[in-house]
Amino acid sequence: MPETVEFTDTEFMVAQAARLIEDGKTVFVGWGIPQVAAMLAQKLYAPDVIQLYEFGAVGPQPVLPFVRGTMGGPQNTYRSLQWLDMNRAFAFSAAGYMDYGMLGALQVDPYGNINSTFLGGTYSRPERRFAGSGGGNQVASHCWRTIIVMKHEGRRFVPKLDFLTSPGYLDGPGAREKAGLPRGTGPYRVVTSKALFGFDPSSLRMTLLSVLRGVSVREALDGMAFRPQVAEEVGEITPPSPDELRVLREEIDPGRIILRGERMTATG
Amino acid sequence: MSGERIRTEGEVEYRFVHPDDFREHVRDRKGRAPVRKLLSAADAVSAFVKDGDYLVYDFSSLTRGPQAMVREVIRQRRKDLWIGAEFTLHESSLLVGAGCASRIDVGFLGYGSYIGKAVSAGRVRVYEWTNGGLALRILAGARGVPFLPCRDLLGSDNMKFSAARTLPDPYTGDPVCVVPALNPDVAFIHVHQADETGNARIFGTSLFAFEAALASFRVVVSAEEIVDADEFRKEPMRTTIPFFLVDAVVHAPFGAYPGAMPARYEIDLEHVDRLNAIGTEEQMRGYLEENVHSVADHDEFLDRRVGAKRMRELRRRATIVEGYR
Repeated sequence: MPETVEFTDTEFMVAQAARLIEDGKTVFVGWGIPQVAAMLAQKLYAPDVIQLYEFGAVGPQPVLPFVRGTMGGPQNTYRSLQWLDMNRAFAFSAAGYMDYGMLGALQVDPYGNINSTFLGGTYSRPERRFAGSGGGNQVASHCWRTIIVMKHEGRRFVPKLDFLTSPGYLDGPGAREKAGLPRGTGPYRVVTSKALFGFDPSSLRMTLLSVLRGVSVREALDGMAFRPQVAEEVGEITPPSPDELRVLREEIDPGRIILRGERMTATG
Repeated sequence: MSGERIRTEGEVEYRFVHPDDFREHVRDRKGRAPVRKLLSAADAVSAFVKDGDYLVYDFSSLTRGPQAMVREVIRQRRKDLWIGAEFTLHESSLLVGAGCASRIDVGFLGYGSYIGKAVSAGRVRVYEWTNGGLALRILAGARGVPFLPCRDLLGSDNMKFSAARTLPDPYTGDPVCVVPALNPDVAFIHVHQADETGNARIFGTSLFAFEAALASFRVVVSAEEIVDADEFRKEPMRTTIPFFLVDAVVHAPFGAYPGAMPARYEIDLEHVDRLNAIGTEEQMRGYLEENVHSVADHDEFLDRRVGAKRMRELRRRATIVEGYR
């Protein structure tokens, strides 16, 4: 009999994101969940992934457990190959050396454009103001493949962003190149707490690729403020494995700083 | 394009100094003699930070930020500062909450709800440069060129709410983004070691410490430790900033508190939680009164608000020393 696995929506996002990180490749890591996903990947799947951080840590092997507030701190820069500064860190992505970028988002639109600046109101009088780009704009502009990690809430998938912080495919095919962004770059996957999206190669619109085991396609699309394309065959994502959960809970984030969230279940 | 409209209305202000004006300042006002520049934080702020100044710093309130200097600016109640806020976390909240800062060029803005509310209420103006955009502006300022091109910001709304511009690249004809040079009035840089003339060493990563020192009109280095000048000549590869860029040196042990100083002491997470929890004006006033205004200086702050026991504990927690030599 298959057992029921219990986990949080965050644990599922982190595990899914970690599975996308390829060994022997480079990944430009954003703040928060991407940091934890990169740690999990490095621990379980991709020991030779080269993490890069905008504050100049090249190829660190960050210390576990994850300590909150360590973006740039010694735990986060531990055992790096090289220590640099921001202009030189961004040179790696600008010159084409970064295979993947991984970022969070407040809102995402059908072309994978990201808002991380504000929600509601106007720019000068936003209803809720957030951190803004940080290095997200540079990561999304220059990495070959950008992975967006975001909680699966329908209101976050919007036809039009309140603010376009980091570029996806802008308004469709050819738009990135026309804007002057490097060719061959752009969003690659959107990892959520229920599903995984890619981008249709011809329309460049977000496409549902797979859903968490037990979640129906209708349930995944329910509440999304735009209707994404749906792959001909929607795949099934296995829930976090015992190994993934153990490493996350016992080694990476025993204090549940990042991993707390809504409780979910699936058959293992 | 709405960005163009906003620009012509002059709402997207940006700090810009003609490179020749900056060069003349360097020629005429920056001393080249290796004189003793050791000052108290109070004297350094009083001599080198004026109302209305543009201020940058390296790195953040969580890691190697010039927190002792920021608290001194607040203590002296500077007004109308414009902050170059790459990676700004609690600093911007405190400077805005204390009434010291009115404009912020944003890379990564804040932490905690206070600063977000201040932006929504229109109590501080913000401009969207991105971290990379600000780092490049400082690099341009450090190179004596009026702007630098990049392929960031293109297609994004950051372009509309900063003074970055899109131009045809003169070589390919493709669109390229340009950002204007930034020459701040003041840079605060907290370092591991400095000598009394201003030679300085940072161990670890940085945002733009060296470029900010080159690009800024006035440079204040605060240091965990003051070392002998001859140390720098023994190991020149470890020098981050040479003395002739620096105007003042402040000896500030635990100067990054409550943030971490790599290999020296850890973040005081309990204190950072208190900063994160500040949401109202009353809480902000209470925090500032307790930690800034009611103590005469950084030393008294450490003695009376942090304490030897806590500092020992934070030193003990800094177990990672590998690489930081």
